[in-house]
Amino acid sequence: MKAAIPSGASGILSSLAESVFAAGVGFLASGILLAVLGKDPIKAFYYLFEGSFGNVTNITITLAYASPLILTALTFAIGVRAGLFNIGAEGTFYVGAAAAVAASFVHLPFGLGLLLILIAAGAAGAAWSVPAYLLKSYRGVHEVISTIMMNNIALFAMQFVVLDYLLDPTRSDKSSSIPIDARFPVLISPNLSYAIFFAILVCLGVYYYLWQTPGGYELRAVGLNPDASKFSGVNPRKPMLYAFLLGGITAGLGGAVEVAGTFTPFAIYTGLSNLVNFGFNGLAVALIGRNHPLACVVAGVFFGALQAGASSVQILGISFEIVEVVEGMIVFAVAAPQLYHMVRSRMK
Amino acid sequence: MQSLAEEALRTAAISKTYPDGTQALRGIDFRLAKGEVHGLLGENGAGKTTLSKILSGILRPTSGEIFIRGQKAEARHPKEALKLGVGMVHQHFTLVRDFTAFENILLGTRVNPKGSGAARARQEILDLSKQVGLSVHLDTKIEDLALGAQQRVEILKMLYRKVDVLILDEPTSSLTATETTELFKAIRKLKEEGKSAIFITHKLNEVLEICDQITVLRHGEVSGRTEASKADRKMLARMMVGRDVVFDLVRGPSRPAEPILEVKDLMVKGNRGEEAVKGISFEVRKGEIFGVAGVEGNGQTELEEALCGIRKPSRGTIRLAGADITTLNTGQIRKHSVGLIPEDRRQMGLVLDMTVAENSILGREWEVRFRGRGVALAWVKIRAHASRLIKSFEILVKGPDSPAKSMSGGNQQKVVVSRELADEPDFVMAAQPTRGLDVGATDYIRRLLLKTRDSGKAVLLLSADLDEVLQLSDVIGVMYEGKLIEVGPAEQMTRHRVGLLMGGVRE
Repeated sequence: MKAAIPSGASGILSSLAESVFAAGVGFLASGILLAVLGKDPIKAFYYLFEGSFGNVTNITITLAYASPLILTALTFAIGVRAGLFNIGAEGTFYVGAAAAVAASFVHLPFGLGLLLILIAAGAAGAAWSVPAYLLKSYRGVHEVISTIMMNNIALFAMQFVVLDYLLDPTRSDKSSSIPIDARFPVLISPNLSYAIFFAILVCLGVYYYLWQTPGGYELRAVGLNPDASKFSGVNPRKPMLYAFLLGGITAGLGGAVEVAGTFTPFAIYTGLSNLVNFGFNGLAVALIGRNHPLACVVAGVFFGALQAGASSVQILGISFEIVEVVEGMIVFAVAAPQLYHMVRSRMK
Repeated sequence: MQSLAEEALRTAAISKTYPDGTQALRGIDFRLAKGEVHGLLGENGAGKTTLSKILSGILRPTSGEIFIRGQKAEARHPKEALKLGVGMVHQHFTLVRDFTAFENILLGTRVNPKGSGAARARQEILDLSKQVGLSVHLDTKIEDLALGAQQRVEILKMLYRKVDVLILDEPTSSLTATETTELFKAIRKLKEEGKSAIFITHKLNEVLEICDQITVLRHGEVSGRTEASKADRKMLARMMVGRDVVFDLVRGPSRPAEPILEVKDLMVKGNRGEEAVKGISFEVRKGEIFGVAGVEGNGQTELEEALCGIRKPSRGTIRLAGADITTLNTGQIRKHSVGLIPEDRRQMGLVLDMTVAENSILGREWEVRFRGRGVALAWVKIRAHASRLIKSFEILVKGPDSPAKSMSGGNQQKVVVSRELADEPDFVMAAQPTRGLDVGATDYIRRLLLKTRDSGKAVLLLSADLDEVLQLSDVIGVMYEGKLIEVGPAEQMTRHRVGLLMGGVRE
């Protein structure tokens, strides 16, 4: 693939500088907070780093957290490229995970089970995103409203599905686990599977679609100027549909990666407690990654590192809630520039 | 050379360098006398807007000084400029659409439109409006006012703030001929009141009609100063573009062939459901330019959109080269050999956030010539294509990877035109093709349309610019209130006659 980014290539360096600066501001502000609370910020940040990148095990944990986040980030990023504010990744993630567990009931040899799981999760995610498309395209319902509602529907519908159809016959707190031969193969330690490569591969695929194909070109053109696209002969509905479907597929795959690719339980807890917030965190990852599919990989690892390092920071006697506040401040600082750019371009 | 009349405003060696290094102004000396209307003329990008923004306190100069009534002044904010008596009426109005005219005028003052001072303020505004002859329905919401009336609100807003120097940025660009006449009347009244005005424009006729003094800017420098009474169009144009501009394009005899576009009994609804195009019929033949003249807002936009497949006609047929295209969408119409130049180039013609290369394939992204292996786009080929267009259409831009939004209006339009004409389509629709463009770009695009016609293609020209229609067309139709009230060969349609028809008057 030739390195040809037709638009925005020149801005990469300046946005990188902006992100690094923003991260610095985030660390500074949260460091001040820690100091006010009587904790040593330097030590805290050291433990944060140590817990996420300090040794091979910690790195694998970081990357394991990152894998599903990278995929849910794509949902939002693709949406923004098409001019949509698609925040449906959260619910679609549950649906994809449930579809993955359901598909694992079919036993297939030679790793074909994993293939079936991925197809099922992707298809379920795509299908789950169709209502929001139809409502927007034919009834003018804003996608923020419809995807929020679809998220809530997914939350309760998938709890029902887990309890009534997918429940582990021996335990009442989780669904059946995905059998070993249908999981992503383990990469280094049990923590990290090939799922991280799969996530990166999907990012490359999305990048290729958006910048190297006519369909992706139309999607970006509609996102930047629907009127000009229409005048050029594009029916804006088509790119919009593709953006919803593609976003649904990536979030659905994210769900599959979480249940078939990250360490224990390889199942869904009945309250979906091991699935919640992956979709919304993906939104933050997309903002940090400036809605660029390749930058989402880096942003996903950054976010994964914050999550992996959290438990180490607690060793210092800093409560989990404070660690979350610190992380929230850092994420907010890094995401803020992109948020600002988006809001400003919408106000124009 | 300058009269010794009392000085209203003067700048000394104003320079402005933008943070990105662009030198917008270089040592501008400018003097405005009291009671004078001073034309500020220049091509797009010459620095007119930058200078006016500095005078009205929106921008700060990099160096140089401003004197108001002989006093050194430094306005860091439009509010401070207003206090010093300098106010600007922007090209794109800055009114709150949901507020009434009255509320808009009071916005930012301490008078509450529903409070105690309201009655007195209303009387003051009414007096002002009578004094200068600017009538406005004070209690109508801005969104319900025509553009001309909105502008009157903007001017009253400035006068109510006791402005002595009024800066008018391209004030006639969205006005009808009648509204322009009214505006000029008001400007003359203001002059009698002892107020001064800076009239920013690139329209030569207007500057000669309304101004006393003229300053011409080119590339951020003053390229000429003259009294309006001693100037003519040729001389001003030369100052603006730095070379002689031929105003009278040579239009050879037309060789019209068979009709290619046939419109029959076409009716099109406007945005508010009203009949905007009320049953018009005409045909455009190969080898001729069919010009549709008319004041804007008489159904031209709806006609344009119907021909492009964006708006569905409610009645009638459109046939292109024999095929019925009435109900086709834009994508299907573009499969025929057509070139469509939209009226609004920034909104309809370009994706401003994309590069020139990306814009050069808009609507053509599926064509095999831009593909590599399989479905992939071949950016190498697309860049080469864009570079060819840049070269053969003399587009001023760094290269195919420059974003479209970084270009001047004229060059943006050239990108649109080059894309639409490069494949030599049999039928070209050009809507307001030179609106807002500088003299050089206008000249270039008009020549291009003539060349298209000379090569045996058909051109439908929709333009509110009467000179343009008269200059280019072989057949002229006049649109008035949704109807094509007269169609005739160019020889029979004199300026006088078309002008009257545009106002709905038949001789």
